[in-house]
Amino acid sequence: MRSSSSGRLRWDLLVSALGALVVLYAVATGWQDLGTTLVTHERTIAVLVGTIVAGELARLRMPSGREIAPLASASALAACFLGPIEGEPAFDVAAGVVVLLVAFALAVAAVVRRVRGGAVGLGLAVANLLGVAVAAELARETGTPGSSLWDLQATRNASPAMVALVMVLVAALGMGVEVVVASASRSQRQGSPWTAALRDELEEAAPLTFAVITSGPMIALMAPAFGLASIPAALFPLAITYMAVFRFARNRSTYRQTIATLSLLTEHGGYTPIAHAERVAATSVRIGRVLALSERDLRELEYAALLHDLGQISLRQPIPGGATVLAAPSDQRDIAAEGARIIRHAEGLDTVAEYVEGQTTPYRLVRELGEPVPLPSRILKVANAYDDLTGGSSDPDRVAAAIERIHLGLGYEYDPEIVDALVKVTSDVASGRVAEREGASR
Amino acid sequence: MTDGSPSARGTPRTIGLAVTAYVVAVTAVGLGLTAVALRVEGLVIGPTLVVLVLLAGLTWWSTPIVVGDRTRLTFSSIVLLSAMALLGPAGAGLVGIVMGPLQRGRVPLRARVFNTGQSATLGVVGGAAYLVAGGSRQAADLDGALEIIRGVGIPILVADVVQIGLNLLLLAGIVRLSQGVPMRVQIGRLARTTGWAYIGYGVVAFLLVVLWQPAGVGPAAAALVLAPLLVARWAYKQYAEEVGAQHRALEVLVAAVEAKAPHLVGHSARVAELSGWMAEHLGFGPAAVSDTRRAGMLHDLGQTTLPTAVVRGSGPAHETALDIYPGRGAALLRELTFLSGSLPPIARHRAAVRSDGGAGPEDLPARIVGVADEFDLMTEVGTPGGDVLPPGEAIARLRESGEAVAELVPALQSALARRLVVGGER
Repeated sequence: MRSSSSGRLRWDLLVSALGALVVLYAVATGWQDLGTTLVTHERTIAVLVGTIVAGELARLRMPSGREIAPLASASALAACFLGPIEGEPAFDVAAGVVVLLVAFALAVAAVVRRVRGGAVGLGLAVANLLGVAVAAELARETGTPGSSLWDLQATRNASPAMVALVMVLVAALGMGVEVVVASASRSQRQGSPWTAALRDELEEAAPLTFAVITSGPMIALMAPAFGLASIPAALFPLAITYMAVFRFARNRSTYRQTIATLSLLTEHGGYTPIAHAERVAATSVRIGRVLALSERDLRELEYAALLHDLGQISLRQPIPGGATVLAAPSDQRDIAAEGARIIRHAEGLDTVAEYVEGQTTPYRLVRELGEPVPLPSRILKVANAYDDLTGGSSDPDRVAAAIERIHLGLGYEYDPEIVDALVKVTSDVASGRVAEREGASR
Repeated sequence: MTDGSPSARGTPRTIGLAVTAYVVAVTAVGLGLTAVALRVEGLVIGPTLVVLVLLAGLTWWSTPIVVGDRTRLTFSSIVLLSAMALLGPAGAGLVGIVMGPLQRGRVPLRARVFNTGQSATLGVVGGAAYLVAGGSRQAADLDGALEIIRGVGIPILVADVVQIGLNLLLLAGIVRLSQGVPMRVQIGRLARTTGWAYIGYGVVAFLLVVLWQPAGVGPAAAALVLAPLLVARWAYKQYAEEVGAQHRALEVLVAAVEAKAPHLVGHSARVAELSGWMAEHLGFGPAAVSDTRRAGMLHDLGQTTLPTAVVRGSGPAHETALDIYPGRGAALLRELTFLSGSLPPIARHRAAVRSDGGAGPEDLPARIVGVADEFDLMTEVGTPGGDVLPPGEAIARLRESGEAVAELVPALQSALARRLVVGGER
């Protein structure tokens, strides 16, 4: 457990160093122009910084808890590509200046978030900056003098459609770098494999990223005719997308709430302890994330965990304390089967029902008889046992006693790999959590 | 475009004939206007026309996404508006003709023909409105934000508003003829559910035109502008699917009630159906009808929190327990904001039919659910002894149970008549 936190410290240092390096490079290449740039392009810079800050403050919280700022990303990309602007001098600055400008805007947004009590999210900001640096470098400095992408756009020496296409590709590269660094940072913090973090990042953010990489170039391409007004105007389609994703994300959380209501039925009926299902769900998801389950699997695991005791509802007599871990194996199976039967009444929850049903099978049967028990079911079994044994307390003695008790059933009752993950999760608050804030819930 | 498929109401032949005549007239106007515009304006056959016609064809693929009663995103308006500015009335009419009949799924021929006439009319009239409002025919020469807004932005907005108005009028006309909904009611309903979205399409079309001509990007502009919207469409699609899933998840709540109380299998669905129909009979709006229906469906949820023996048994413990479960049911659902309209009737459905006098109009949904519940308990579920009353006798008993209940008997009877016709939950 000590190793994971010191690893995280090392990683934080590495990320900070990387961020410092990017800024240093930007200062080295952009510093001498900075003074004149600020004077010549004051309006352009003010609008760019303003939109980036506003976009950063209007972050979108995805269903997994991941936060993204599509409007800010698109504005930052626009800063990389901006060339001629109607009514303003052409934005002919070095890539370093663009990086400094974006870094400044990100810092302002971070300060505002901090003041409002939010997380700063250094790792993500560095990833963001790195992506911008790559895109700006490719757009402004790459190629023989006079033939960079920026020059081609400014001099109109290439067909605009071609310029648009190359801009989109460069934007995609920049965002690609950002996603890779961000997922590395995330995998370090939550203790999950990097490939899984990268996959999640791509799956969840990909559609919005696609919208972002077309919006940035759109601003730059519109500016020669429409002036600075292009920056807010060309963000409109992305804003529609933002609203759509926002609604979708909010609805996802209402859906979860609906499922959580089902877990209240047994609690209000006195069959299960208050908040037991929620705690089992939280632990299950964290274990699942450490074990690299996909977001979809995690979601279904979460629902299964919320519903795992539903079958108790038709029991004539409540089980003492609602703790199924202490019930007779055949009773446990009956409860799980009844729960699964009820869940199957809803279309689309079949997988969830399957996970609930599989939660009672001892690991021995998987190992010796090859019984196909899904990984989420095995996770649920461990998380449920842990909560039944600790009663939801985080008192170190009770935690240690519970883990010891679970260790007694290692290999026989419980899957050792999952118990390892449980140990990791219970000894380290950040393990398996997505949200930047410590202890924030999904 | 919203599908204006005419549906037969009671099918007297005159209605069918009137609708057909209307469709033929709209189509003739659309095609005629396009022909006139072609004659007067002429048409430049070039890449712009080809690309826009292709885009119009592609709208076939993107059926509008509808969540709840709201259309969230359709591409056809954007393409049509862009055509008005880029091609003029004649070209927009042609684009409308290409777009009209192309709709995925089973759309009746008459609706396809109507849509063709409708979108051609919208294209030509909108294109003309664009020009009248000072829209530039040579947008490529415009420079600077103000000039572009004056030469493209405001004219597109005017064309958009004209298009929305005309569209509402044409649609309300067909709904008036086929379903007898008064024009004013229908126009209000449509304007509420789609109005703002169409203004948004105007802004997107404006961006597309600016990028295409003054900024000189050409047809690639369409790809840049529409890419984010494809993502928005994807998100709305997910959203629509999840809203469906969420409603199905409520079925699990009903299943939990039925697992707890096997004698109530089917009861919740029947009460939901009756409650919804009674609410409709009493003139509730769509949202209130669905709240009442949902309340009928979940009215017994609180029973899941009672000891199993009490729910399944009879006697005094059973009777007293029955007084607490409605409140508990509402408490369980308190966190679900989309059910907030259903909570009061769930909490009060038993009390409301027992209290005489003092029952205000706010208790009406609760009384509806209560009456539907009582009726179903008497006629379908029966007493613990298994006695079931015939509907007539049950209604007679309801008539005698005080003003609050008797008042709703006509609504109940109308719902029962409807059940006989459509063969509802039994």
